[in-house]
Amino acid sequence: MTVWIRHRDFYHLDTHPEASQGHSSVSPEPSRGPSGQTQYWRWWRRAASYPLVLFIRVWRKLISPLYGNVCSFYPSCSAYGLESVTVHGLFRGSALTAWRILRCNPFTGGGVDHVPPSDRAWPEEELPAIVRLNHPPIPRDED
Amino acid sequence: MAFLDTIMWPFSWAVSFILSMWHSLLSLMGLPEGSGWNWAISILLLVLVIRIILIPLFVRQIKSQRGMQIIQPEIQKLQAKYKGKKDPVSRQAMAQEQQALFKKHKVNPFMTCLPILAQMPIFLALFWCLNRIGGSGQIGTGDTDYQSEGYFALSGEEVTSFANSRIFGVGMPDTFLGATQGDPALMGSTVTVIALTSVMIILMVGTQFFTQKQLMQKNMSEAALKGQFAQTQKIMLYALPLVFVFGGVYFPVGVLIYWTATNFWTMGQQWWVIRNNPTPGSMAEKELNLRRAAKGLPPVGEEARKAREEAAKPKSEHKGHTAQPKKKKKKKKKKKGQR
Repeated sequence: MTVWIRHRDFYHLDTHPEASQGHSSVSPEPSRGPSGQTQYWRWWRRAASYPLVLFIRVWRKLISPLYGNVCSFYPSCSAYGLESVTVHGLFRGSALTAWRILRCNPFTGGGVDHVPPSDRAWPEEELPAIVRLNHPPIPRDED
Repeated sequence: MAFLDTIMWPFSWAVSFILSMWHSLLSLMGLPEGSGWNWAISILLLVLVIRIILIPLFVRQIKSQRGMQIIQPEIQKLQAKYKGKKDPVSRQAMAQEQQALFKKHKVNPFMTCLPILAQMPIFLALFWCLNRIGGSGQIGTGDTDYQSEGYFALSGEEVTSFANSRIFGVGMPDTFLGATQGDPALMGSTVTVIALTSVMIILMVGTQFFTQKQLMQKNMSEAALKGQFAQTQKIMLYALPLVFVFGGVYFPVGVLIYWTATNFWTMGQQWWVIRNNPTPGSMAEKELNLRRAAKGLPPVGEEARKAREEAAKPKSEHKGHTAQPKKKKKKKKKKKGQR
């Protein structure tokens, strides 16, 4: 049986740290379409975002290191961009990214700013690595 | 290319508009219209305009760094929590907690992305402008004749004047690469083009290197100098000049003027910031406190924090009688608990 992971699951984690990461929706197939809570995008639905995803990956590998750690947000603008385009698709993803870059100035003060949760789900082995990277489990404080 | 052109449209327009304005003004003030110096000074003034617009951002940036020393104890606590955890997941978790902490105390030591990203298309706009209006590059120009149709806010006459202007006999659109490949569009002689572009590439790379080195030597705290981050910075210190040496051979003289001027501005701005608002715990802060001590002023930053902590510590000789019985009580309680 395939283990399905929803993008939303990573957000329950932020408010309820005791929930185990990502495994809350174990079902053979998520319901698809507008009525369902989760949806799976097949390759044709994902395809539109591929060029931009590739561009951001190359940017993160080659150009980001040139000026080091400058972003005043978590996740950094490029990590946010990669996650939002992978998860929300080309149009909503690029709009979210553009808005984030505009907000990344000294007047906003930065802070933790995650990509808005989406209704998408993936079989565990297909989950994009950036989603896991941007939502690390926070260990409890000692006191 | 067409897609990029659409995105670049506002930047190309702004850059050509500012250049056109300064060129007209300088011509009014008596500089010959077709002179390369007129265009060179216009480019310098373009840099000035852009960097002046960015000043409020840097001032705000410095202000949001000021609170850093107040939250130093909490940052140390966080560092202790993640001590020895070097896997990517822990590093991400620590970064997230740190940002939450900065937000809570309304401080942020980071540069922010917008001012850096905003400067890239401006540079690209000038690069495209010089490459297209004349000279060796002519990337993707096709059959547009900019010298009669104009380029964004630059009129046809201005484009012709810009494309044919020279300094030291070298044309504004000339490149190092064009000179070594014997480009027929080259305006200066091979030797003078190579000489001038080489000097400018060295200046551009030199200022870049010096600025970065200054930042690392003087304005990083001792803790930051030991970390993983410092290692990456060290690699970048030497890798970045290489990138610009190889990139520089493609840059037209006009772009080299722009980039060198920008670097000089950054160098000056950073010198001022390091001198007056150094990072807590850095060498620049020690120097600042030495200068302050010479003037009879109290120290700032890390040393001031240490001094405050020292003052807050209880002094044993004053508390003699009251302190003694309390300590005994505590010890007794502990023993009871152990049984």
